[in-house]
Amino acid sequence: MDEHEEKFESYLRGFQPRRPRALPFPQTAAPVWIWRLAAATILAIAFLSSMWFVSRRSGTLRIEVATRKLDALSTEEFEPNTLSLVPVTRLALEDPAQLDVTLTNASRGALPDLQRNESALRLLAKE
Amino acid sequence: MAGQTLTAEDVRRYYDQHGPALVAYACSFVADVAAAEDAVHQVFLKLLRGDTRTPDAPLAYLYRAVRNAALNLRRNRQRDMPLETQKLCFVDRGGNREAALALQTALGEIPEEQREVVVMRIWSGMTLEEISTMTGVSLNTVASRYRYALEKLREQLKPYQREGL
Repeated sequence: MDEHEEKFESYLRGFQPRRPRALPFPQTAAPVWIWRLAAATILAIAFLSSMWFVSRRSGTLRIEVATRKLDALSTEEFEPNTLSLVPVTRLALEDPAQLDVTLTNASRGALPDLQRNESALRLLAKE
Repeated sequence: MAGQTLTAEDVRRYYDQHGPALVAYACSFVADVAAAEDAVHQVFLKLLRGDTRTPDAPLAYLYRAVRNAALNLRRNRQRDMPLETQKLCFVDRGGNREAALALQTALGEIPEEQREVVVMRIWSGMTLEEISTMTGVSLNTVASRYRYALEKLREQLKPYQREGL
């Protein structure tokens, strides 16, 4: 290519074709990722909220059940064998051996039995 | 057609890099910037939608597709505005509107295959070898077409050129 031709090429390049109007290019991938991220975040929040709610509810239920059981134990089995002061004093004076037997029986009814499967201690340990 | 589907990013790159040259090329068929832009847009929108698979040489395909779109538009549209009053496809850096109009007219008058080579070479920045590869025409033929085209353009633009060109 001679110099003459190169100069004319350069002259032609002095004419700029008009830049066409912008094409409606789709948005880049970033917004799609943002939407996906937002959706994932919402799902995660919903999942964690539901897990927290369920665990909290089941915890409350377990406490309620345990409380009910304890109440039942205290009302049914721990019904105090009321020992009035006068008979106990008399028994202590007249028959100490019988007093021991009476107090032992009374204590069985008044205090929780820690050996049973559904004893208060075991229930609390399970919780 | 065997080939590939261009990604949106590829299409954007081709549009940014070759859009103006393709509009100039289309202008030589429709002689109306709006119609030329429409032709280019049609082709690129098809690519964006993934309607079209491009061959291994996308640029050559783009030139062919723009040519066909421009010819279709020319058939369907009445040219109801004289060229002198239209928005021109070229802008002269020196602000010479007459020279830009003369170039546009001259490009429309040279044979299509010569015009294609000139636009690819001057405004798409391709080498003659690349044009040859892309169009599937021998390098000698491409070079001949280019020289003939330049001679004709030089003749047409002589009144607007400075001395020595």
